[in-house]
Amino acid sequence: MSAPSLLWRGAALVLLLLFITAPQLFAFAFEPLTVNGAPAIYNQGSLLSLTLSHLRIVFLATLASTILALGLGIFVTRPSGREFLPLSRSLVNIGQTFPPVAVLAIAVPLVGFGEKPTFIALFLYGLLPIFENTLTGLMEVSPQTLDAAKGMGMNPRQRLFQVELPLALPVILAGIRLSVIISLGTATIGSTVAAKGLGEVIIAGLQSNNVAFVLQGGLVVALLAVLIHDGLGMAERRVSAKLGRAADEVS
Amino acid sequence: MIEIEHLSKRYAETIVVDDVSLRMDEGTITVVVGTSGAGKSTLLRMINRLVEPSEGRVLIDGQDTMAIPEDQLRHRIGYVIQGYGLFPHRNVAENIATVPRLLGWDKRQIAARVDELLDLFQLDPAEFANKFPHELSGGQQQRVGVARALAAKPAVLLMDEPFGALDPVIRSKAQDDLVAIQRRLGTTVVLVTHDMNEAFQLGDRIAVMDQARLLQYATPAELLTRPAEAFVEQLVGTAERPFRLLSLLKVREAIEPGPAEGEPVSVTDTLRDALSRLIWTGREALPVADASGALVGRVSVKGIVAHGRSAP
Repeated sequence: MSAPSLLWRGAALVLLLLFITAPQLFAFAFEPLTVNGAPAIYNQGSLLSLTLSHLRIVFLATLASTILALGLGIFVTRPSGREFLPLSRSLVNIGQTFPPVAVLAIAVPLVGFGEKPTFIALFLYGLLPIFENTLTGLMEVSPQTLDAAKGMGMNPRQRLFQVELPLALPVILAGIRLSVIISLGTATIGSTVAAKGLGEVIIAGLQSNNVAFVLQGGLVVALLAVLIHDGLGMAERRVSAKLGRAADEVS
Repeated sequence: MIEIEHLSKRYAETIVVDDVSLRMDEGTITVVVGTSGAGKSTLLRMINRLVEPSEGRVLIDGQDTMAIPEDQLRHRIGYVIQGYGLFPHRNVAENIATVPRLLGWDKRQIAARVDELLDLFQLDPAEFANKFPHELSGGQQQRVGVARALAAKPAVLLMDEPFGALDPVIRSKAQDDLVAIQRRLGTTVVLVTHDMNEAFQLGDRIAVMDQARLLQYATPAELLTRPAEAFVEQLVGTAERPFRLLSLLKVREAIEPGPAEGEPVSVTDTLRDALSRLIWTGREALPVADASGALVGRVSVKGIVAHGRSAP
């Protein structure tokens, strides 16, 4: 990564940290957006704790998606699970076609308000990118490499952990990154069912017709997304550089 | 020693290897040659059970390979394929250490073995041990592939078109290196190729396959002078035959008494090389020197040509 772009990221990170810990410093910038003396900075809770809750639910949902999608992806690429490939593909696709709002609507009567329905929506929505990338990564491992591994006497488990997964890793990481970014945005709607998160700021703004609030919530989510996207992208590039592939191949 | 007894492989209705029996002596190079689709790779892959035979059996040093768990069997058999299949995420040292690691050798033993093999293949450990496969040239990758296959000191080495991806100059060097290393280690090598020149250059014995069947299994000289079928004759190349025959024989077999003018040829040169020197220098005969440089006689055009005839 070039020096100027690193500088930009660093600046974005500092800006984000400053804003969520001491938002009053930025009141001057948001004041012109308010009408009738409404507050310029969100005042119904700490931005820092909302951000942490937001990140927490995204992390937990992505972790759960990763475990299931990775496990399923590995299973259906084994000889014993190959016949389940079409079935699991359609199941995961259904998870993606269901709009998260619809999932929330269905989940609330079943599990109640709060974090649980949001978690379910994010979890289902995050499965597809990770599952598809796991499949692609595992199926792209060169047959020659696998033949050599088998010919040297590696058993199926050794082939999976020592050859297939390490080689598929950059592509799997790209899937996880995609899933995290989708979840970061999607998690804002969780606030409609009383999950703590940055959606609260946006919704409060919409309800009181305060553009400053909407903008604050949106900006924090956007900055988080950009920074996390970059961070994970860097990890991927490091892994793929070791494999001798061009970084843009997996982005 | 590898004994292949009535080995067949069928996929549904197609027969890929049809009742092949062969015996490969310990410490020799056997080349399986044939057109593509002749079944030679399948035959090779049945030796380490990457392909399970439909019928027949393979014995290694008298032991039926079906009696050994397949992974253990493969630990004992080196395997080199075209393109080598090096692990892109592991460096040269880790690639070579693959089988010793699977076998649970201790770290120091593995490191020593890796260095030994890198030296054997003329790759400086300091320079190459930490390189990744994508940083190597084709010839270097090939050497790492063979070194990896030899890491756990297997008695048998299977090679499937191991030189196919190399350019001609590097290929001939790699072939010479293989023979030198094989002679030094005494490994039993089975090598599959479609290149007849390669077969003649490397093989102690050559097995010719066509359409799933073994047509002839003989020494290179026998293959030239007594081809079993028209297909073998065609594969050997009728126009090339005398020259191939001469390249199998050494100068020592055509020495005549008497003096000759010119720069001496060595007793270990092939007759083909000697003839080529005679033609190029325009002489009728050249002196022959033994390993110490002492003159031991001469070779003549007439004498060499007599060795290139079908019925000596």
